[in-house]
Amino acid sequence: MSNNPFPLSKEKLLEAYRMMRTIREFEERLHVDFARGDIPGFVHLYAGEEAVATGIMMHLNDRDRIASTHRGHGHCIAKGVDVKEMMAEIYGKATGACRGKGGSMHIANLSKGMMGANGILGAGAPLICGAALAAQKLGHGGVGVSFVGDGGSNQGTFLESLNLASVWNLPAIFVVENNGYAESTSVEWAVAGDSYVDRATGFGMPGVSVDGTDFFAVYEAIGEIVKRAREGGGPSLIECKTVRFHGHFEGDAQTYRGKGELEDIRANKDCIKIFRNRVRDAGVVSDAEFDKIDKAVVALIEEAVVEAKAAPLPKAGELLTDVYVAY
Amino acid sequence: MIGPVVGIIANPVSARDIRRVISHAGCLQITDRASIVLRVLAGLAASGVREVVMMPDRSGLRGYLTRAMTRAENAGEARFPELRFLDMKVSGQSADSANAARQMRKMDVAAIIVLGGDGTHRIVVAECGNVPIAGISTGTNNAFPETREPTVTGLAVGLAVTGAVPSAAAFADNKRLEVTINDRHEIALVDVAIVRDRFVGSRAIWKADSFTELFVAFAEPTSIGMSSIVGLLAPVTRSAPYGRRVIFERPETAPFRLCAPIAPGLMQKVGVQRVETIRLHTPMTPAAPAGSLAFDGEREVTFSHEDEVRIILSDAAFRTIDVSACMAHAATKGRFVEADGALSVFNRQLGG
Repeated sequence: MSNNPFPLSKEKLLEAYRMMRTIREFEERLHVDFARGDIPGFVHLYAGEEAVATGIMMHLNDRDRIASTHRGHGHCIAKGVDVKEMMAEIYGKATGACRGKGGSMHIANLSKGMMGANGILGAGAPLICGAALAAQKLGHGGVGVSFVGDGGSNQGTFLESLNLASVWNLPAIFVVENNGYAESTSVEWAVAGDSYVDRATGFGMPGVSVDGTDFFAVYEAIGEIVKRAREGGGPSLIECKTVRFHGHFEGDAQTYRGKGELEDIRANKDCIKIFRNRVRDAGVVSDAEFDKIDKAVVALIEEAVVEAKAAPLPKAGELLTDVYVAY
Repeated sequence: MIGPVVGIIANPVSARDIRRVISHAGCLQITDRASIVLRVLAGLAASGVREVVMMPDRSGLRGYLTRAMTRAENAGEARFPELRFLDMKVSGQSADSANAARQMRKMDVAAIIVLGGDGTHRIVVAECGNVPIAGISTGTNNAFPETREPTVTGLAVGLAVTGAVPSAAAFADNKRLEVTINDRHEIALVDVAIVRDRFVGSRAIWKADSFTELFVAFAEPTSIGMSSIVGLLAPVTRSAPYGRRVIFERPETAPFRLCAPIAPGLMQKVGVQRVETIRLHTPMTPAAPAGSLAFDGEREVTFSHEDEVRIILSDAAFRTIDVSACMAHAATKGRFVEADGALSVFNRQLGG
């Protein structure tokens, strides 16, 4: 560790890289397979935002609960949901995480503390207030983390949850993943005050803003926020300024983007590229070690797709089973 | 052109980092920032400035300002100067402040009023050349900008740029630290800290066990941030022709220890091996072979033994408006007094 200038051991750095690469490969593969017509329903891809989910989830354990969004694959993978079960779920197969009945926007695994992706904007925040209240009452030191996008943060449910979390001093953490667009509407046109940190202050909790394309910025800041929540310091909000590499949904023509914008963010704001270059340049991990992970991840996702395609569909007689979840 | 034009660069996103969680640093809401600008504008108008140009933003400042100024116009009140915004692409990043300062310099504005913390002022100073600045504290660490009511800063800037106060009293020269990392050039207005971490991360520095070295251009006993360490050991004024360098050591083995407010609300114990005086224009090299360079409290650049790092203290590097001197001059001259007859300033000051 003496020659490692980062706040994580080499093993943890490799784990972070593997996590981000797995999310990226998973999403890029879905992008291709969806365009080919292989996947039912809608998918909203997380590619570009991997440093946020990974930087946050590396501070959490299975007892800590998260509530995700419609763009939830990255949160699921980083929280430990099995990648093959996720792929099967998105393919609508009986071997999926929710027996093929939830699809992309309802993947959940309570044993991992993953309370579900969510098709309703702003709906994760009230769930997390409940999870954080449970953690507070049980006194086990767990925290609840709610994800919301810049658009979803304008929902009343989100703002009501900030209020509730502050009133009850809950170990709740509100993560605003600001990728610049609520579907196709720029944050410049849709957010009064335009500062999520201001909103936190208005509800009596600290808010911070970090560069969500920098894994270390997210990791370092959320570490302090999680510590505060576990120690009884109450709720916090963190805005992660990030980018998404694909449209709001697959098939989105993205006519609302500026000329050259996508090329620019892929070239200059790719969180995985930034992470890899920084860690390699510090001499902690070699390109060969990174390449080995890349290869393993590609093989894993390929296996997940092959197995998902080969898996059976749910039977008609099971139409009404596994639809509701008892918490 | 209707007299001197004053520029305003108001950073809408200063005071947003992790120090709000770590140590209860303040958070100034965007509406408060807009109110500060309006108070500055009122002060400028009262001291004779008719035209102001401002950096555009996409955080809502422009909307709040336009709302207030439209209302004043509708009410027939002449409280504010004419305000227009620079024609520039807004990125929402610190590059906006740099870009705005460059444009204002080209426009030859008479002064730039800066709303931000030490980091924002550093960015503006790097680009504003000989244009004097006046700072208003809206950041986390505010060692460089003074804490003062913005109306008064507006008044003083107006007095300085309209010539109501002689230049010799109105403007002050300042030192700064010039840093080169290979071909890259950076500056710091207050301090350069070397920390062991070799990643920029969340930028703020607060872990005392990572500090290896500190260079300061000035350090006041009332200061906040890294310079407070020197401010409490061996203070240096803003005008003194020298600076200081501190070599840190682990508190357990250091010859002496010091508890200093290295961030708002955060007292940290640091171990000090020695303090040296640094001379102007003398290149220095960090003792540590690798780490990160933090300028005015924020990690900006990482370096290793392969990089060539040089730090130089320079004087007369940029100009500021001496708000206290301007207001003192105005008071002496009865600048804001309206009196019937020929009462002497002396009598007026005594209420006679």
